[in-house]
Amino acid sequence: MEWVAKNFEFVLGLSLTHIWISLVPLIIGSILAFVLARLSPQQFAGTIGTTFSAIYAIPSLAIFVALPALIGTSYLGPTNVVIALSVYVAASMFFSTRDSFSQVPAPALFIARAQGLSPLQLFIHVELPLAIPGLIAGLRVAAASTVSMASIGAIVGVRNLGYLFLDGFQRKIPEEILTGLVAIFVIGITMDIALWALGKALTPWTRKTAQRV
Amino acid sequence: MFSIGELFGWLTNPENWTGRYGLANLFLEHLALTLVTLAMAGLVAIPIGIAIGHSGRGETLVIAISSASRAIPTMGLMFALVMLMGVEFREFAVALALISIAIPPILAGAYAGIKSIPIVIREGARAQGMTPWQQIRHVGLPLSASSMVGGFKIAYLQVVSTVVLAPLVGLGGLGFGVIQGLALRDFAQLKGSALIIVLLSILGERILTRAQTRLDRRLTHSSEDR
Amino acid sequence: MKKTIKSTIALSAIAILGLAGCAESNGDPLVIGSQAYYSNEIVAEVYAQVLEDAGYSVDRQFALGQRDVYVPALLAGEVDLFPEYTGNLLQYFDPSATATAEEEVYRALQAALPAGLTALTLSGASDQDSFNVTSDFAMKNNLTSIADLAGVSGIRLGGAPELAERPYGPTGLLSSYGVTVEFEATGDTTVESLVAGLIDMANVYSADPRIQQLGLVTLTDPEGLFLSSNLVPIASDAVDSKARDLISAVSSAMTAADLVALNVRSVDEQLSSSVIARDWLVSKGLVG
Repeated sequence: MEWVAKNFEFVLGLSLTHIWISLVPLIIGSILAFVLARLSPQQFAGTIGTTFSAIYAIPSLAIFVALPALIGTSYLGPTNVVIALSVYVAASMFFSTRDSFSQVPAPALFIARAQGLSPLQLFIHVELPLAIPGLIAGLRVAAASTVSMASIGAIVGVRNLGYLFLDGFQRKIPEEILTGLVAIFVIGITMDIALWALGKALTPWTRKTAQRV
Repeated sequence: MFSIGELFGWLTNPENWTGRYGLANLFLEHLALTLVTLAMAGLVAIPIGIAIGHSGRGETLVIAISSASRAIPTMGLMFALVMLMGVEFREFAVALALISIAIPPILAGAYAGIKSIPIVIREGARAQGMTPWQQIRHVGLPLSASSMVGGFKIAYLQVVSTVVLAPLVGLGGLGFGVIQGLALRDFAQLKGSALIIVLLSILGERILTRAQTRLDRRLTHSSEDR
Repeated sequence: MKKTIKSTIALSAIAILGLAGCAESNGDPLVIGSQAYYSNEIVAEVYAQVLEDAGYSVDRQFALGQRDVYVPALLAGEVDLFPEYTGNLLQYFDPSATATAEEEVYRALQAALPAGLTALTLSGASDQDSFNVTSDFAMKNNLTSIADLAGVSGIRLGGAPELAERPYGPTGLLSSYGVTVEFEATGDTTVESLVAGLIDMANVYSADPRIQQLGLVTLTDPEGLFLSSNLVPIASDAVDSKARDLISAVSSAMTAADLVALNVRSVDEQLSSSVIARDWLVSKGLVG
């Protein structure tokens, strides 16, 4: 497409920003979700869950504009959007994390503890590996959503691929909008595949089982 | 930057509720568009989801559509369709975009719901001589209802979110206050509109979650909380 | 957090795109902002390239949004240079301003600007809000000026959502001309809606090439609802005198025809603002 050829560097720059704006929240949000799912006291679990469900229900633009008032960031700059997206990721990953770990078979934990493993060893060598498939699945969903949601940040001035939608519509250039769609889609799918591959790499025993069948 | 008092004042000012761009009209527009979209998407997605869940054919397609659809930016889709169909048909274009956004989660919910019904039960219904329609009505729907409602819930949230962006293509909806508030730096309008949007989304989410829980309970006859 | 992300992005972009590093200048980079309006962005890009060419390091913060968002940033020193429009900016700082002619408005703006901001040289390029109708509508209702609208009923006015609250919007039409209109927030679909007959009158920026291309009729404004509005660079104290001279030279060099031509290149040739800016600067001999 001609438009892409003429504006390639520009689109590349926007893509890089877009990837950053998506990756940082994924990391922060996952860590936050993990901390809350694993380390928070039992009695808060329900409240945290309900709060996160509620937050996740809120449209991203509404959060982008409401957050500055709550935590004092400014509209300008990516900080606001990164924080908002991190909260979204945390909300989505909270449930996957919680469910992934609760799915770990009790016998496995029991045996490991009987063998004398310390809680930390238990976590690293038994719980975590068995929870990985669920965690990766949750992460894939979060990644795809974050990448496409980040584009809305363009409305509050973040210079990512979403800008192509706004500018393309203003100047009535269909290729520009299409380029944005394709770029975001490609980034999302690439992350999805990368995470899938990561999941496979981290769980070699599932591969062996598959071969036997 | 702004005060709760200003926000409250803005929300309780009757001027902000009347007229074409008053909150009352915007709220109704937003809700109407959302509900119509969900109905149309349901009409398309549920039969297909049931069919695929039951026969097992086309499974990979459902899974692919589900994953792929999450990666499509809703704002871009909306702009692209409006540009494609022309500004005169923007209402139709937006409706089409919204329906496309709503179909994948509803489809996934219907498919997963039917698929999760143990094969013995499904076969049992057929063995009893039920027609396909009877099978769906007496076995399929009741047993997959919870999953379907779950699909609708996700679709509802996606659609409400996207309608927030409709003013960017010259339509109404609650997003108007956000867009105008951003431009005018009228924080009361901005936060007020955002608040109403938040309430609409959370209310819908709570209602649908409760429906899902009730359906689950009916299924298992257990009194455990979900 | 913000600075880290920004500098990391900048570094990666430079590494991957293989661009030669910009010449290092003394101190912090100058932050140049623009509105979320492609035409304004082209002018901001022109400023940026002129300064970079002279050895300054520049940080582009484009598409910041409306005045109401970026003026506070200018005052707070987060943004140093911004291409603005005299009339609209004057109304922002002094809503009761009565100046309407070009020079008048410029002097009033200079007086109205708060401490820390200066208006550099006025440009001949004007780009202001204007009410337009299709030529058919104008002929049918005998319209040449906004005052002629008084005889027409049920006029639907389209424009950006914020037009509803602007002094030159429906309220101004009523108080200055006694004309009642129904407002439709058409946003970026304004011109198309006008052509499709969904609205009767549209607020279109005067430098928009589509006015000429689509044969739209701009209604004259005898009561001065719209202040004359020309491009003018607004600079904070962080901009030194050498930079100011460079920018002022650019500003005087740009004519109204130039601006429309730049807009045409953006919309018709669909080029990016950096290419358009570079070509214009080269053609005017403003860059080496």
